[in-house]
Amino acid sequence: MSHPLEPRLAAYIASRLPNASEVAVSALERISGGASRETYRFRLSYREGGQVHDRKLILRRDPPASLIDTERRVEFEAYRVFHGSSVPVPKMLWLEEAHDALDHPFFIAEELAGFQASPQLLFAGGYEAVLPKVAERKWTILGEIARADPEGLGLTPVMEKPPLDAAWRRELDHWEAIFDSDEAEPQPIARAAIRWLRAHPPPPARKLSVVHGDFRTGNFLYDEAGEIHGVLDWEMAHLGDPLEDLAWGFNPVWEFGRGLAGGLVPQDRAVQIWERASGLKADPAALHWWILFNCVKGQGIWVGSARAFIDGGNREPIMVYPAWWLLNAQDRAILKVMGRL
Amino acid sequence: MMTPDVPSVLSELAGLLVRNAAPEVPDAERASALGLSSMLLALAAEVWDGAAENLIQENRALAVLLDDKASEASLRLSALRAENARLRARLIQAHVAAERAADAAREEAIWAELRASTERRKLSVSPV
Repeated sequence: MSHPLEPRLAAYIASRLPNASEVAVSALERISGGASRETYRFRLSYREGGQVHDRKLILRRDPPASLIDTERRVEFEAYRVFHGSSVPVPKMLWLEEAHDALDHPFFIAEELAGFQASPQLLFAGGYEAVLPKVAERKWTILGEIARADPEGLGLTPVMEKPPLDAAWRRELDHWEAIFDSDEAEPQPIARAAIRWLRAHPPPPARKLSVVHGDFRTGNFLYDEAGEIHGVLDWEMAHLGDPLEDLAWGFNPVWEFGRGLAGGLVPQDRAVQIWERASGLKADPAALHWWILFNCVKGQGIWVGSARAFIDGGNREPIMVYPAWWLLNAQDRAILKVMGRL
Repeated sequence: MMTPDVPSVLSELAGLLVRNAAPEVPDAERASALGLSSMLLALAAEVWDGAAENLIQENRALAVLLDDKASEASLRLSALRAENARLRARLIQAHVAAERAADAAREEAIWAELRASTERRKLSVSPV
């Protein structure tokens, strides 16, 4: 049985391909895991210029209520500017910000087919020999994102440019406000961490960088040789301190219980790879501040996910699982980073 | 002490299971919904037996720390959770006061309780 979105999606794409005929969408299916966007894969076929085209594409549509509320244009542009660079990303095709076509805003991209994203699979044993290679690629790519010039990429019209000495405050203010609006119960551990962060601010950012915002094991596509073919989930991308991005992957919940950064290599090794690729130095005290900040940010996301379910905006199980699995683990991560566990 | 609370999630899962029994649901979506539901049911099963005891223990520990009295007028989980939220809100205030007073002993006592609170809530699948 065909998916009810298929004819509507075909009609939309036909409107974007005025020289095409016989535009058809098939095999549309939702991919599990996306909590901040509904993600579907599908096949598009059409005839154009005497040729039949058959393409594997991805649809990313806003859900009724999200784990993370962000502008899809920012995400779309972040992907678009890195396409064709040393930072592998899928090619963006169309962005639709109106609600008419598919009820919610969405974008369509090429699918990077044939690769894996699952951390569970990566750590199940079959990839053990290539984990150092994955780590090398992971932090090299992150270093290249840090090295990139946001102005030169053309991102400043869609992403706010904070002053170098205020990047930390903007982020902390944003995530503290999430606690104020979304927490379903008091969060004494996260609140203590926020007080500590405000009392011990980091030095100004060494440069203003593109911050992916969710660069962790699970958000890139890998193969059996340990190569990374795509960096995904740019919905929290913004401009800020490059240490913020490095530190997100050092949030202890992303060790997946393996005691290694990202479940892959010791943290020192990851920093070494990143420093070489970015040309930047990771000051240990500043990095510690950003790791603790990212533990607070993580908790803000899990708190927001629970809130979306409680308020009824999104009652899907994917909104519950991160909250149940990670709210307490994130508290323990905060205690660990603060030397209290 | 799971948030969202377990009854509201179980109720939602009951509806989801019925919806996914319909033949027109795409196979991949059904597999995804049922897989995630299965993981949630496993977590609910894990916390079920100890939930009331953990809340009562924690509320009593917080009451001692805060020189308060933990209400046990109702032993429903919802009532114990509401009392827990009241006491943890007071704990935040006490923590701020201890920091301002540079009362290291008081701060350490609060951190010890916060540490213990994460042990009570720790799941078998916890990554930390």
